[in-house]
Amino acid sequence: MRQARAWFVRVLGLFGKSRRDREFAEELEAHLQLHIDDGIRSGLTPSEARRAAIIKLGGVEPAKENHRDRRGIPFLETLARDLAYAARMLRRNPGFAATVVLTLGLGIGATTAIFTVVNAVLLRPLPYPDPDRLVYIATNWRNTGDSDFAYTVDYAAWKNHNRTLSRIAGYMTFQANFTGGDEAERITGGYATGSLFPLLGVQPAVGRSFLPEEDRPGGPPVAILSHAFWKRRFGGDPAVIGKALTLDADTYTVVGVLPATFVIPDRHESTYDLWVPFAIGDTGKAKSILAQVVGRLKPGVGINAAHADLGALVYQVRRGMTKRTIVSDWHERVAGGVRRSLLLFLCAVSFVLLIACVNVANLLLSRAAARDKEMAVRRALGAGKGRVLRQLLTESMVLGLLGGIAGLALAFWGKNLLIAWISRNLPALAPIRLDYRVLAFNLGLGLLTGVAFGLAPALQASKVQLNESLKEAGRGAADGHSRNRLRNLLVVLEVALAMMLLCGAGLLFKSFLLMRGVDPGFRSDRILTLNVNLTLSQYPKPLDQTRFFQQAIQRIKVLPGVQAVGAGSSLPLGGYSMTVSGMTIEGKPDADTAVSLEMVSPDYLRTLTIPLVQGRDFADSDREGAPTVVMVNESFARRFFPGENCLGRRIQNPARKTDWMPIVGVVRDIRPWPDVPIEPEMYVSYLQAEQVHLRMSGGEMGTEMYLVVRTAGDPMSLAAAVRSQITLIDKSQPPHDMKTLDERRAGSLAPRRVTMLLVATFAALALILGSIGIYGVVSYSVGRRTHEIGIRMALGAHQGQILGMVLRNGLGVIATGVAIGLAASAGLTRLISSELWGVSATDPWTFAAVVSVLAASGFAACLLPAWRAARVDPTRALRYE
Amino acid sequence: MNAKADVWQGTLALMALQTLDALGPLHGYGIARRIEQTSGDLLSVNYGTIYPALLKLEQEGYIRSEWGVSENNRKAKYYKLTRAGRKQLQKETHQWKQATTIMDRFLSPAKEVS
Repeated sequence: MRQARAWFVRVLGLFGKSRRDREFAEELEAHLQLHIDDGIRSGLTPSEARRAAIIKLGGVEPAKENHRDRRGIPFLETLARDLAYAARMLRRNPGFAATVVLTLGLGIGATTAIFTVVNAVLLRPLPYPDPDRLVYIATNWRNTGDSDFAYTVDYAAWKNHNRTLSRIAGYMTFQANFTGGDEAERITGGYATGSLFPLLGVQPAVGRSFLPEEDRPGGPPVAILSHAFWKRRFGGDPAVIGKALTLDADTYTVVGVLPATFVIPDRHESTYDLWVPFAIGDTGKAKSILAQVVGRLKPGVGINAAHADLGALVYQVRRGMTKRTIVSDWHERVAGGVRRSLLLFLCAVSFVLLIACVNVANLLLSRAAARDKEMAVRRALGAGKGRVLRQLLTESMVLGLLGGIAGLALAFWGKNLLIAWISRNLPALAPIRLDYRVLAFNLGLGLLTGVAFGLAPALQASKVQLNESLKEAGRGAADGHSRNRLRNLLVVLEVALAMMLLCGAGLLFKSFLLMRGVDPGFRSDRILTLNVNLTLSQYPKPLDQTRFFQQAIQRIKVLPGVQAVGAGSSLPLGGYSMTVSGMTIEGKPDADTAVSLEMVSPDYLRTLTIPLVQGRDFADSDREGAPTVVMVNESFARRFFPGENCLGRRIQNPARKTDWMPIVGVVRDIRPWPDVPIEPEMYVSYLQAEQVHLRMSGGEMGTEMYLVVRTAGDPMSLAAAVRSQITLIDKSQPPHDMKTLDERRAGSLAPRRVTMLLVATFAALALILGSIGIYGVVSYSVGRRTHEIGIRMALGAHQGQILGMVLRNGLGVIATGVAIGLAASAGLTRLISSELWGVSATDPWTFAAVVSVLAASGFAACLLPAWRAARVDPTRALRYE
Repeated sequence: MNAKADVWQGTLALMALQTLDALGPLHGYGIARRIEQTSGDLLSVNYGTIYPALLKLEQEGYIRSEWGVSENNRKAKYYKLTRAGRKQLQKETHQWKQATTIMDRFLSPAKEVS
C-alpha cells in the first residue's frame, strides 16, 4: 500500500523536473549555510567554517544525482532519453531509417497478413458460446478412412440414448428450385434439427426458431431464412414472417430470419439460403439418410468418453455391424484440412522476415563501424558496456516498432489480397480481420525483430576497444575482422534462406505446370456449362425429363453463335457421377464391376470433343423402344476386355435384368483431375432414360443434367440468351451453376495455384531482399577498401584483377550460402511433398534452376560494386581518407 | 577506514522519524545534527544519506514538508511527522526492540541454568 503510494509519487516525480531540481538545490544550500552558521557560532572564522562544512558534507552533485534517482524512476528516464536520442539519430539519417523501416515493414507486413488468416482459422475459437465443448460426429461404413457424415439412423439413437452430450443436432445441405418471387432460383438450403440453433446459441433476428412439433416427421412445413437471402429476395422486410414460399413445388411458411453473423463453419464453401426442419423420426427416417452431426459435451465429459458412448449406441442400432464412429473437436475438424498449408505459408513468410532481419542487421553493422568513435567517446565519458548496449538496443527496437507499424499498413492491404486468393479454400469462419491478437502479434514481432537484428551489432559495438577506436582515423583498412566475418556470415544465412524458399517455390511451380499441362482428354475452351435440376413432382416420368432437355437442346442449338449443344448427367469437373456396382458383363461372371454411369445426349461427346476410339456415337434413333445400347471408355475396355474387341459385347441392364445392352462404341478416357485415377465408365443415352432408369438416394437419374454449349466466341456472352431459352420452356426450372468449362478447370487447380503463387511471392521477396543484402555488403566493403584498392592499382594491378578480386570475395560468400541452402532444401522440401505432383522433393532440375537464378542475381548484385571498385582512380583513392 | 560509521537506510529512516517525534517540525540539517549528537558522534550523516531517506519517507506519506524560516533567519525546508508516520514509528520501534532483545540474548554469554 505504502509501496504503491511511493511509486505513484515517483511517477509524478517524472514531471516538473527543473522545479524540483531547483528546490532541492535550495534545500542543500540551506543545509550548508546552517552548518556554516553553527561552525561560526562555535568560534571558527567564516572561511574556516565553510571549509569544514564542505569537507564534512561531501560532493553536492552526487547527492543531487542520488536524490533525482530516488525522486523519479531512473529506468524510465533513461528510456525516454534513449528514445529521444534514437529519434534524433533517425531524423538525421532519413535514408537509412527509410530503408530499414521499409525492409522490416515488408517482412513484418507479410508475416502479419498470414497471421491474420492463421488467427481467424486456427486460433480464434468457433463463434459460438462455450466453443470448446462442441464436437463433430460422423460414422463410417468401413473401418478405415474418414467420413464427413453420419446416418440419420445413428443420429436418432444418439439423440434418444446418449449419456455424454448435453445436446445434439443434425443438419444437411439440400438444393431446391425456389419459385417465390419474379424469378425462379436454385437455392442451397439446410435441413436443421430443432436443436441446431439452440445448440449454437443462435437466436433468430426476426421471428422464432423451429418448434418441437415442427421438427417431427409430418410436421408443418416451415422455413427460417438466412439474413443474406432475406435481404436479397425479400428486401429485408420484417413482414416476411408468416408468408409462404415455394421450394420444388412444396409450400413452406417463413417463421424466422437468422442474424447476419450466423455461419456454419463447414470445410466447403457453403452458404445456406434458408433452413427447414430436418424432422428425423425415432427410427431415423428423414428427408435425407445422411446428416452432419454436432454435439455439445456435458460438463466434465471428454471426447473419448463421448466416443465410447456414441460408438456403443451405433453398435446396438446396427446389430453388431461394424461401423466406425468418429468424434472430433469441431474446430479441429473444420480447421484441420487447412492447417498444413497455413503453417506452410507461415513458415515461408517467416523466412522472408528472417531475411529482412538479416538485411537490417547488416545495415546496422555497417553503420556501427562508422559509429565506433561515438561509442568510444561514450565509454570514455563513463558509460558502462551495459549502458551502451541498452542505448543501441533501444534504437533498434524503435526501428523494429516503426517497421511493425509499416508492416501493419501492409498487412491491412495484403490481408484483403490474401482473402481474395485463398478464402475459397478456407472454412467459412468468422471474418478474417485485424483483432487485438493480430495487433499484439505485430507489436511483439516489431520488438522481437528489433532485438533479433539489433543484438549482434550492439554486442559488437559495446565491445569496442577504447584506445584503438579513438586513435583510428576513422578509415581503417582493417575494419574489425570479427565484424567482417559476422557480416559475411549473415549474407551466407540470407542466401541459404532464399535458396530454401526458392526451391520450395520452384517445386510447387513445376508441379503446377505439370498438372496444368496434363491432357484432360477433352477441350475446355469456348464451352458454356450450366445445370438444370427438374422438380420431380413436375417431371415425374423419365420421358418428361428427357423431353424437357430435348427441348432445351433444340432451342439452344439455333441460337446464333452456338456450334454444338449436349447434355450429360454430370460433367468433367462438375456434378456427381453415379457409381453402379455389381453390373454383370456377358461372359465375365467374376469381374469386379463397379463402374460409373453417365447419361448423355447424342451430341455430348462431340460438343466436348471427346474422341471416339471405336464404333459409333449415340444416334437419335437410339431412343425409347429401340434396343438399349451403351458406350464405354478405354479404361472399361482395358479392364474388362483386355486384348479383346469389346464392340458388340453385352452388359446386363441394372434397371431391367432381362435386358442385355450391346456396346456400340468406345470413347477416349478423360482425365479431368490429374491426380485422380481414371475409373471405368459406361455411357447410356438420355433418350433411353426410361429403359435404364435408376433411383439414387437424394434424387433420380435424369432430373439433373448439365448442358454443355460449344460457342463461336466468348461462352459467357451467350449465358443470358441460354438462360432465357430455358425459362421459356418452364420458368420454374431455373438454370444455375453457369460457368465456362475453362473456369471449372482453373477452379480445380485453384488451391494449388494459390499455394504456388503465395510461396512464389515470398520467394521473390526473399530473392530481392537477398540481392539487396549482397549488394549492400559488397559495396560497403568496397567503400572501406578504396584506399587499399588504390594502393594495389598504384602497384600495378589491372582493372580486371580488381574486378576479379571483389567478385571472388562476393561470390565466395554466395557459393557458401548456396551450398548450405542446397543441403537444407534437400532436407526441407520433403515436408511439402504432399503438395507436390509429378516431381520428387529433390528434383535435380528444379534445384539446378534455382541455383542458377540465385547465382545470377548474386552475381549481378556483386557486379555493380566490383565494377565501381575497378574504376577507382588510384591517385584519388590514395588521397581519400 | 572511516572512524565514523555510515548509517544504513532502514535505521536512518527510523531515527529520522524518532527525531521528528521528539523535537517536532525540523529541517534536514537539524535532523542530521540531532542524529549525530544522539549517537555521541559515532554516526556521520551527510546530505547524500539524509535527503534520499527523507524523500523516501515523504513518498511513503510518513512525513510532510514545507518551506519555513530557521531560528537564525534562514529559509529551510521543514519536515513534519504525519499521523501515519507516528503509527509507523511505534510499529518499527516495537520491532526494533524485539529484534535487539533477541540479538542481545543471542550474543551475550549464556547464563548457566543451575
